[in-house]
Amino acid sequence: MTTGTSRLATKVWWAQIKAVIRLEMRKTFFAKRGLWIYIVALLPVLLFMAYALATSGQQRQRASVARRGEKPLAYQDLLAVKPGMTTEEVIAILGKPPVNFHWAENRPLRPGVTENVLREDYHYSDGQDDLFVGLVNGKVESVNLQNGSNPGLDSIMFAGVFQFFFLRLAIFFGCLGIFMNLFRGEILDRSLHFYFLAPIRREVLMAGKFLAGLLATCTIFVTSEVLQTIAFLWHFPPSAREVYLYHNHGLEHAAVYVGVTVLACVGYGAFFLVAGMLFRNPIIPTAVILIWEAINPFLPAVLKQFSVIYYLKSLCPVDIPSAPGTPPFLALLISNSDPVSAPVAVLGIVIVALIALYASSVQVRRMEINYTTE
Amino acid sequence: MNDRIVFEDVSKFYGEILGVNRVNLSIPAGITSLVGPNGSGKTTLMNLMTGLVKPTRGRVQVLGYKTDDPENLFRILGYSTQFDAFPKGLTGFQFLYSYLRLSGRDSQEAERMAWRAIERVNLVDAAKRNVAAYSKGMRQRIRLALALAHDPKVLVLDEPLNGLDPLARSEMIALFRATAEQGCYVIISSHILHEVDVISDQVILLSNGYVVAEGQISTVRGEIQEHPTQILIRCTRPRELATKMLEDEHTLEVTIHKDEKGLLLKTRDADGFYLALNQLALNGNGIEIESIAPADDDVLSVYEYLIGNEEVVR
Repeated sequence: MTTGTSRLATKVWWAQIKAVIRLEMRKTFFAKRGLWIYIVALLPVLLFMAYALATSGQQRQRASVARRGEKPLAYQDLLAVKPGMTTEEVIAILGKPPVNFHWAENRPLRPGVTENVLREDYHYSDGQDDLFVGLVNGKVESVNLQNGSNPGLDSIMFAGVFQFFFLRLAIFFGCLGIFMNLFRGEILDRSLHFYFLAPIRREVLMAGKFLAGLLATCTIFVTSEVLQTIAFLWHFPPSAREVYLYHNHGLEHAAVYVGVTVLACVGYGAFFLVAGMLFRNPIIPTAVILIWEAINPFLPAVLKQFSVIYYLKSLCPVDIPSAPGTPPFLALLISNSDPVSAPVAVLGIVIVALIALYASSVQVRRMEINYTTE
Repeated sequence: MNDRIVFEDVSKFYGEILGVNRVNLSIPAGITSLVGPNGSGKTTLMNLMTGLVKPTRGRVQVLGYKTDDPENLFRILGYSTQFDAFPKGLTGFQFLYSYLRLSGRDSQEAERMAWRAIERVNLVDAAKRNVAAYSKGMRQRIRLALALAHDPKVLVLDEPLNGLDPLARSEMIALFRATAEQGCYVIISSHILHEVDVISDQVILLSNGYVVAEGQISTVRGEIQEHPTQILIRCTRPRELATKMLEDEHTLEVTIHKDEKGLLLKTRDADGFYLALNQLALNGNGIEIESIAPADDDVLSVYEYLIGNEEVVR
């Protein structure tokens, strides 16, 4: 093939890919049977919106307590209160409590003997955090400092939702719904012959369909990811948002999450494209891939590489710490004990996807139109 | 053989079910009809020809193109299938336009070619309606338009006249004829024998996955030795002619027509018979012969002789 002919062929292939994408996008975005994908993609957004609403209520309450205080408090002031201090010492540091309760109660001293004590609860706030001081007979008995939400702390929750719901379930099943139907759906509708009767290489058709699926899943899930980030940051004061975004890598994290979302669509999309060609019943490959991805932390190093989640976890910007006392089995699931570098992870997903796409191209060449056996 | 559609020892099995077996064909230009009852292998043969199914054994080539090379094959071939499903949400025009864009054509050319194909099948008024709302006949016509849209050299049409009203049928037949006269290859499957008889240049008779006979109808008929050829002669004084013809060694049986204006003869050697008849006419014995026509030199008779009368429509 001369350079000119090859250039012409590439031009025609690209025109054909665009024609396939146009046809597929219409079906993918407006199919009734794909409605659940939008719902799944929207769920974490709703979760963060609900969390934001709940947190803003608490925030307003804290601000009100802070305003009613005798003097403006800083976080350091709240930390200064220790058990054993007297009421006067507490008031000297924090001022008169804006919210306080007191009551008398009988406290058991020894069996059969009780003592009447005066109990007081003081509630202070610096506008962000709450301090609850419990006093008995004028002495501090308990100090409970509750940190309010801040983007830094909440980013761990965001990472948890991203890794354990968005990546492993929403994108996974969303890709299943879209990519699996690219060929399988048309076999069931008995309309695949429309493509097979056109002067288009089967590999080009497959590439067009894959790109259409990728465009659809990326549009849906990247939009969801961006909305999640907005919902996640929405309720914080502008100053806290600015600090998080521009000084605490927030913007960088958001970009990485978008990138991981795209890579997840590439990896799972390629898997489900080939699965849709090889299997009539989607439940079998879905279960196999889901189990394979779930047991990834327990697999030998060589086998780990043939999974999507292995690379995606390595790319996630925020590690989720295991709570003390977490069973080792669960801790292994949460943590990424054997992460790879970002370039290796990206390359790994691309290679896994290319292997799956190669298998798809072999399969698509073998495909026959034989609707009666489906 | 770059000017033929060639099947070389082709078999197709669907698991253990036979599609077609040991098919050897070399199909020239013109209208070729695949004739056979349901399940005889007509659609399988067409699907093999278009690469929609792959042969279990053997090789198929269309004008030199391999059937597993759709990129080149469908530039010269259009296939109107029997599958009655369409991509969802498309109008008739969009259906053709999308197909032409898939072929790599630019927007303007695709639009022009789509409208031309729509005009050829008389579907202009319905072109902007959703295909899902089309009647059976309209769906048949839009499928024909799809096969014709890119001016293919080879047209493969699976039961193309199904669902069409008589006027549309005659229009379509005229269209197939015109296409064939331009040197194209028109392959039509049908189980309606009188239609096949009207339009075909050659036939391929199929039964239970086997090719029973192929070629021009008269040639095929001539090769069927066990059934004598029937010839209808319209003439004056048919009884005298019958007597004379029975004296000829080629005549097996003579029946006088009910209206006493003709007779039906049976012979095993049509050529010898025609020679003897010419001789008789030249002798000038007062018998005026108005017409001579083969009475069973049609697809229906050939089909009945070879296959029997299973599931075909006269």
